[in-house]
Amino acid sequence: MLKKIQNWFDERIELTELIKEFNGERIPRRGGWAYTLGSLLAFLFTVQVVTGIFLLFYYVPYFPMARNATYFIKHHVLLGNILLGIHLWGAFTMIFFLLVHMARVYFSGAYKKPRELQWVAGMVLFTVVVILGLTGYMLVGNENSWWTINVLTNVASHTPIIGGFLRIVARGGTETSVLTMQHIFAVHVWLLPAAVMLFIPVHLFLIRKTGHQGMALEYNNSKLSDDDINKWKKPDATVPFFPDQFYKDMIVALCVFAVIYILAVVYSAPIGPMYRPLALNFAPEADWYFLANEELLKYFPGHGLIIFSTFLIPNIGFAILFALPFIDRGHERSPFKRPAATVLGILFLLLLVYLTLIGGEPKAPATV
Amino acid sequence: MAKSSEESPSRRTFMMVVIGLISSIIGVALAVPILGEVLSPLFKKRDIVWAELAKVDDLKKISPLTPKFVPVYFRVKEGWTVNTLPRQVIVVKDITGKLYFFSNQCTHLGCPLHWIAARQKFLCPCHGGMFNILGKVVGGPPPRPLYQWQHKIKNGTVLIQNKFIDNPKDRGI
Repeated sequence: MLKKIQNWFDERIELTELIKEFNGERIPRRGGWAYTLGSLLAFLFTVQVVTGIFLLFYYVPYFPMARNATYFIKHHVLLGNILLGIHLWGAFTMIFFLLVHMARVYFSGAYKKPRELQWVAGMVLFTVVVILGLTGYMLVGNENSWWTINVLTNVASHTPIIGGFLRIVARGGTETSVLTMQHIFAVHVWLLPAAVMLFIPVHLFLIRKTGHQGMALEYNNSKLSDDDINKWKKPDATVPFFPDQFYKDMIVALCVFAVIYILAVVYSAPIGPMYRPLALNFAPEADWYFLANEELLKYFPGHGLIIFSTFLIPNIGFAILFALPFIDRGHERSPFKRPAATVLGILFLLLLVYLTLIGGEPKAPATV
Repeated sequence: MAKSSEESPSRRTFMMVVIGLISSIIGVALAVPILGEVLSPLFKKRDIVWAELAKVDDLKKISPLTPKFVPVYFRVKEGWTVNTLPRQVIVVKDITGKLYFFSNQCTHLGCPLHWIAARQKFLCPCHGGMFNILGKVVGGPPPRPLYQWQHKIKNGTVLIQNKFIDNPKDRGI
């Protein structure tokens, strides 16, 4: 019976061939676990989309109500605390593993010719996901959301020339208002997810097109020199994507999902107090992945230097990351054979961790 | 029958030009209203209103060089709604008896200031900006002194406008 159904499809659209084409992709064998990170991110994004869609059943993007709607989901909707929790911890986990994925690709030199475009597409995804995180934080509608909206739109207003316009367009007016929330909502649930859904296939298509080129350890048996482009086309051993690699992907996905689920059940999502515009003792806090940038804002005083922390350093940093494959054009892949890149990468990660840690310290002395 | 592009190179060029033109026309026709929609806030004037703060005589009674936080409520049009925007006004009397009406927003990126009585300073909880009692920057990243609300006195009552003095770029608010 099943065979008959299969034949019916095969006669018309050659379904079996198609599935073989998708599943039979050859993956380098030794680094199997390191290559699960990309699939993990795709899985986490799917979880975000699914939970996000169903959160919309109860959510209202209107400033004074948004926080109460979120509160309602957490406390009065059956199992809503778990759904909301998965959406929050899933987002945190996604940003964290994006950084791990980027670090993995960086240290194994996987962005080098012919895979430059993959890195660029990946950077687009990274940028979009971070903005998704920030806008999600704003949509909770609590006190932190309000100040995050104000502070970030003010940061945008320090962009040269168009800054003032940017802030007005982002806020939907000169002040943070109902329209601001509506804008952020549209961006968070439609514009940016659509961008991610567009760029994930691009990212995957590029991988299939350039071929899987694994870490340097996949080529230990190769006699060719590192400068030979052909060396990177023939790993010592490969396995099919399905089921060998997919099996590992699923195990990693399950482990991460279990952690998210436990966090969701135990902690759910902290909602925080309602926005009190007249509060005199409130100290806004950013999410953990923004703390490094937040810390940066403290160091550049006055009219002349403020632009360094709000515009120049973050944007130049992003530009360098985007252009990485065009800056680092050597053919060496092993992290041990390109010590400068490896040391710089480690230093950058340490700086990021350091800024995040001191950025997270309480900033205001207790009000007397 | 018209020639196919394979039979005539000029026919091919012609088809490609038409395809390009049609795409551009549809693209521009869609982009114009979308841009208009997104940029629309740039063409709206901000709703500027006066709101009552307090009686001058009451404010004159506060002790000098001690800030008093007084809420003010602006009724303004925001998008399709009319909303009440509550804001804090920091009223300060200097030693000559002159009244200042400061905003409690940090001039750096707009966070709400705390008054630290022990150090006689306003402190921004976000990035550590510090101001003295008369609004001058005494530490941290703020680029300019505290904003002062536009105000006037009418029949013994202080009225505050949702607009800052000396703030050409409308920052803060």
